[in-house]
Amino acid sequence: MTSLTTASTLSTEDISVWFGQRQVLSDVNLTFPGNKVTALIGPSGCGKSTFLRTLNRMHELIPGAGLSGSVFLDGEDIYGADFDAVSVRIKIGMVFQKPNPFPTMSIKDNILSGLRLSGRKIGNAEELVETSLRRASIWNEVKDRLNDQAISLSGGQQQRLCIARSLAMDPEVLLMDEPCSALDPGSTRRIEETIKELSSSMTIVIVTHNMQQAQRVSDQTAFFLADDNTPGGVVEFGATEQIFNGPIDQRTNDYVNGHFG
Amino acid sequence: MSFAPRPQVQPWKRANTSRRFQILLASVLPIAATALIVLFAGFDANLATISIFLPLQIIAAGLVGLKAFGRRGFGDAVLVVLTIFFSAFVLILLLSVFLSVLSEGSKAISLQFLTQNNVYISNTTSLEYGGVANAILGTLLIVGITTILAVPLGIAMAVYLTQSQSKLRGLVRTVTQALSGLPSVVSGLFVLSIIVTFGFSKSGIFGSLALFPLMLPTVARVAEEALKLVPSDLRLAALALGAPNYKAFFQVILPAAKSGLITALLLGLARVIGETAPLLLTVNVNNGTSWNPFNGPMETLPAYVYGYLSSSFVSAHQRAWGAGLILLVLVAVLFGLARYLGRAKSLKSKPTKQKASK
Repeated sequence: MTSLTTASTLSTEDISVWFGQRQVLSDVNLTFPGNKVTALIGPSGCGKSTFLRTLNRMHELIPGAGLSGSVFLDGEDIYGADFDAVSVRIKIGMVFQKPNPFPTMSIKDNILSGLRLSGRKIGNAEELVETSLRRASIWNEVKDRLNDQAISLSGGQQQRLCIARSLAMDPEVLLMDEPCSALDPGSTRRIEETIKELSSSMTIVIVTHNMQQAQRVSDQTAFFLADDNTPGGVVEFGATEQIFNGPIDQRTNDYVNGHFG
Repeated sequence: MSFAPRPQVQPWKRANTSRRFQILLASVLPIAATALIVLFAGFDANLATISIFLPLQIIAAGLVGLKAFGRRGFGDAVLVVLTIFFSAFVLILLLSVFLSVLSEGSKAISLQFLTQNNVYISNTTSLEYGGVANAILGTLLIVGITTILAVPLGIAMAVYLTQSQSKLRGLVRTVTQALSGLPSVVSGLFVLSIIVTFGFSKSGIFGSLALFPLMLPTVARVAEEALKLVPSDLRLAALALGAPNYKAFFQVILPAAKSGLITALLLGLARVIGETAPLLLTVNVNNGTSWNPFNGPMETLPAYVYGYLSSSFVSAHQRAWGAGLILLVLVAVLFGLARYLGRAKSLKSKPTKQKASK
């Protein structure tokens, strides 16, 4: 499990985003190297969640959405003609802010739902369920009730179930949109440990409002900011250590030290 | 072993003796006063309930509330009285309809009433002969065909209204709402005009067609509400897992909306099962038993009720009541059946097979 496999590299080139006539992001150029955890930080409304959604083509589901620029997965443009949204989302998984297990399915079926929904074959269901739940460190809590309804779990367990559901798809990249914002400190800690373990086999991008969390889990950090009535963009991007301890831009310094946002 | 006495666990219900006495007075006095007026002044009891009892009860409860908690106590007490009074009012109305159908209708019910048809039965025939089997069959067939036509289409409309981004949605919604105000007799008239224009003869299928525009808007609107209640999170979660739209819909959204969609089916059914006018216009009546909705007239329960009510004979009236009761029971059975078949699949906590620990 811990053997280090080189995961895919994701990078963006001049990503700009519109909702209707309003531009909300301008020229984002970031690279997410394989097996690294990248944190996206910034005040609410700066476009970091929107940016995250452009990375697995969830952005285009919003009515009135627009986009320019490219997103490359190992050099291939996921908005290119050779890719369709479904195959992108199979390779690039996503965990949402609010836990959203499928309420009509059991814990086990939630894990298998990804493969069923994307129409792929399930080899050894029992094994896949156990492996996925173990990787999301929730196996011990649910192994005796895999046939229970998923919504019978606590909020923190539901979120780890959603992570396990994404892992069952064996994605190359995992996007996490404030995965711990609705959770207690204990669940948060377990998810952070999970993230660290997962980075041995995949590339992770995580949006977070929690500065300590960004420092604990990430290798590199991008600071997003949107000034009044201007589209958001990346102010500073670098190693997490550097962003938090020696930022170049004054605004980054103010933000990570809690002076605004 | 002895147990300590259970401590008082609902301290908010404490009231002192004088408050208890006031509440008792306020509950008993208005009824007693109204009863006395009805008994000795010869006032009409129904009228007295509204014109004497209700105001007295409001005043009595209001005074107790006012004394205990001031103005907010007054408001609370008046609201409680009004709520209970009007709830009871509606409940009694519904119960009296149900009980009168039950008490009158049960006189006609027998095994033969359920299994025989109406051939050679007249208004004066004794209740020992004849029955409504042909009408039950006709109602089930005609309403069944309507359901098969209207429910899938209604749900499809609801899907269009909730899942698509189309600009035509507003128009479709408005037309659906307008259609739900369509008088049933007009729907019957429309189908009748088709029958006459093209030289068809009246038969069950035309009854289904006449009921169809009545059932469709009900199903579509209730189904739309049911689908709207499914959190958009779930659809996004499914799409983020690489689901094509149709699989996200069939495997995630539809199961989550299932009980609401069954409600849509039931309300649609309730809308049409008692319709009389369109069926009289398009299906006609038939004393015999017809299994073929595509050829010739059929009997239906509402038409049977209508037919026997227009007579002045006691046994005919009892037949009508009996058929009305069977219609009520039929609706109840269909509702129960749909709820039973559509109940949430119970995910029991069976212990999962444990593998040897690693």
